[in-house]
Amino acid sequence: MIKMKRKRSCHFCVAGDIYIDFKDERSLSRYLTEQGKMIPRHTSGNCAKHQRMLARAVKRARHLALIPFVADFSR
Amino acid sequence: MVIYETIFILDSLMPPKDIDAAIEKISGIITKDNGKIRKVDKWGKKRLAYEIQKKQYGFYVAIEFEGKGDIPKKLENDYNYNDKVLRYLTYRYDKHKIKLMEAEEKREEKTTGMENQSERENTVKQDEVKEQIEQAPAAEQTEESPAETEAELGVDEIESIEEKKE
Repeated sequence: MIKMKRKRSCHFCVAGDIYIDFKDERSLSRYLTEQGKMIPRHTSGNCAKHQRMLARAVKRARHLALIPFVADFSR
Repeated sequence: MVIYETIFILDSLMPPKDIDAAIEKISGIITKDNGKIRKVDKWGKKRLAYEIQKKQYGFYVAIEFEGKGDIPKKLENDYNYNDKVLRYLTYRYDKHKIKLMEAEEKREEKTTGMENQSERENTVKQDEVKEQIEQAPAAEQTEESPAETEAELGVDEIESIEEKKE
């Protein structure tokens, strides 16, 4: 079986974003799971540079209680 | 000088006076150490994503300032002594943020320039209209007033002549 790899492009690079703002929790939530975990790079398709920036933004937002560390969700 | 931003969460049950006093106190610390406050932004009361000290709501305040590296330490010291501050975050603007700010400033300049131009055009048009309006009544007055005075003068003269005759 040959694994078909779909090439995903970094959303931030495509949009031309220079800076990821941690105050905007809605845009961050796009890169988080329902539980509030960060989506890994190989699924979201972000480039390394933007993933690092995103990680910093998420950590700051978590500290200021804008997004939860752990969100309870039941199936 | 480096640009910093400090964000702190106050107890939302505080009266508004105390909140203003707390903001003034923090901004006082910044200005005391030759810092320059660029922006004070009150986000207002917001629901916290998780409970902090058994509180569900907090009052967010963000202060953007310029200054040296010893200010954040002093701010931190003050925050730690203040029980009403639930959380705080002081961070330095990195090169990406500064780049973004510069780009935004350029954009604003362009837009404001356009607005100014349009405003000027508007004012010019308004002036023209005003002049026209002013000219019209002025012309009428000038036409009328000398005629009236002449008529009056004429009557007066006639009267005086008649008096003399008598």
